[in-house]
Amino acid sequence: METPAIPAPEARSVVPPSLRGVLPLVVALPVLALFQWVLSDAPFATYLLSVVGVNIILAVSLNIVNGMTGQFSIGHAGFMAVGAYISGVMSLSLKDIALSFLPVAASDQVLFVLALLVGGVAAALCGFLVGLPSLRLRGDYLAIVTLGFGEIIRVVVQNTDAFGRALGLSGIPQSSTPAMVYFWVFLTVLVARRITGSSHGRSLWAIREDEVAAEAMGVDTTGYKVRSFVISSFFAGIAGGLFAHFVPIINPGSFTFVKSMEIVVMVVLGGLGSTTGAIVAATFLTLLPEGLRSLFAVLGAEGSLAQKVDQIRMPVYGLLLVVLMLARPQGLFGTKELWDVLPRWIPRKRRGLA
Amino acid sequence: MNASVQEAKAQAEVEPGAPLLQADGVSIQFGGLKALTNFNLSVRQGDLQGLIGPNGAGKSTAFNVLTGVYQPTRGEVRVAGQRVNQWLPHQINHLGLARTFQNIRLFRALSALDNVKVACRAQGALHPEGVGLGAKVKGAFFNYCDWWRALLLTPRFQQEERELTQQAERLLEVMGLSHRRDEEARNLPYGEQRRLEIARALGTQPKVLLLDEPAAGMNTREKADLMVLIRKLRDDFKLGVLVIEHDMKLVMGICEHITVLDHGETIARGAPAQVRSDRKVIEAYLGDSYLESHGGAA
Repeated sequence: METPAIPAPEARSVVPPSLRGVLPLVVALPVLALFQWVLSDAPFATYLLSVVGVNIILAVSLNIVNGMTGQFSIGHAGFMAVGAYISGVMSLSLKDIALSFLPVAASDQVLFVLALLVGGVAAALCGFLVGLPSLRLRGDYLAIVTLGFGEIIRVVVQNTDAFGRALGLSGIPQSSTPAMVYFWVFLTVLVARRITGSSHGRSLWAIREDEVAAEAMGVDTTGYKVRSFVISSFFAGIAGGLFAHFVPIINPGSFTFVKSMEIVVMVVLGGLGSTTGAIVAATFLTLLPEGLRSLFAVLGAEGSLAQKVDQIRMPVYGLLLVVLMLARPQGLFGTKELWDVLPRWIPRKRRGLA
Repeated sequence: MNASVQEAKAQAEVEPGAPLLQADGVSIQFGGLKALTNFNLSVRQGDLQGLIGPNGAGKSTAFNVLTGVYQPTRGEVRVAGQRVNQWLPHQINHLGLARTFQNIRLFRALSALDNVKVACRAQGALHPEGVGLGAKVKGAFFNYCDWWRALLLTPRFQQEERELTQQAERLLEVMGLSHRRDEEARNLPYGEQRRLEIARALGTQPKVLLLDEPAAGMNTREKADLMVLIRKLRDDFKLGVLVIEHDMKLVMGICEHITVLDHGETIARGAPAQVRSDRKVIEAYLGDSYLESHGGAA
């Protein structure tokens, strides 16, 4: 019955405990700076990678609710819209203001981050208001409510002058940089991972596995569901804010039900519960249309086909899902993460969750 | 009703020997169906009680009322002296009532260790959450700080996490599951899953443990081991134990007090010998035709 002595992960670590919290940040910042420098002269790559980054944030944050907690939210684009419009309007109104004690570029970035945070908090607030009543119930109610919420936001935006109605908002300062987008990608992934590795994450997984048992074991299931939903909405809002600051115009058409489904497809394709899966699937599905476009162009098929990629995108997603459900119903990664699927000779991180 | 869980806990600790779990005239009705009528029960520390009855007698319903899954239509349930009608199951659990399930409900994709850690944590992070608004705000604030500690990976969080692991490992050891530590719960053999459920329930540091058919599907040998184990747990963890069980040998063997239900009504209660010879009990289990042919109590 004796267990072989497994050294605790802390025992092997050379990093003192007080530094482990900030270590990833210390590593990430120089990488981001390098990233920014490499991309400084490539506008198309910058745009494409920014879209990829935003989609990664969306997928990873949705995975916290749909994957880890096992609830089913299908209105993520709604929260993204809240973040995009709130931070967009804020940036527009702060356009001519500069913080006098900072250089102009730095002042722009500070105001940009501020607008992002306001957008994120607004989305989180919406998440709280939507989640509190619907997460008390078990089952499919959340899906119905989030679906409705997404549409309500879109309709509200379409009929509000301050949000530019159907025409959308244009002229939002293009303050977004790849470094900023990927900083938030990094933060989202870090938060998702830290949640998984903590007791909060275990409680969320417990809810996903068996809500009745979790409640009986003292887990405040409603509370945890609402919290995970709020965190997820916050990052959706941030993603929306980032999006609003690098596309020339945001309009209600960017935040339709189709966008929500796109994010759900990313999460399901990657594997419900796998952050790695969400990242891989978001990247793949964002680059897929570009890939198809280049492919058609190279094949020399009629130019029209290359232009129609955006229209054939959804059927392709659908086909992918059907194939996936038949071949690998748990998604590409299942609930596993990168270090679980790496070959054995690479030193592994010990799993927090089996 | 405004008292927080912690206050209630403190109250319970100043009154030794008081009933930890008490049901007073509890009735529950689903539409026209009376699932439980005037159910009375009192479990003290060190008690080992049984709850028996034929299929559909309302045993599991009784468990569900006690643990807060259902609300009683009439009567009241008290845990650690606190009236818990309208409380949520997790709040009742925090007062010191833990249960296992008739059909095993483990967190199947989590490792054995994590299954226990979920339960340990829920208790370790006991915030002053109660029914009043002040307690709610306080609880929300505690929770908020707690999330930030996890997200920032503070040394205090890491320390807590280590303690949790140790606590869970100890419980696995007690239940003889140390060798399954990192195995997914769904891959454990049946008997071990049952034991893991008990380990998980113990993780919440209960005062009263409710076992819903712990011996279901076990062979004679395993049942004998289980009897020893239940007694040992009661003594080592200073618990009150309430067992639902079909296996008469097991119930009669370990329980000191038995309540018999039939059609939601309590038809007998008392020591095993007394219950065994009760006419109504025999009738409920074997039918009145048996009584007629054998001429009264066996």
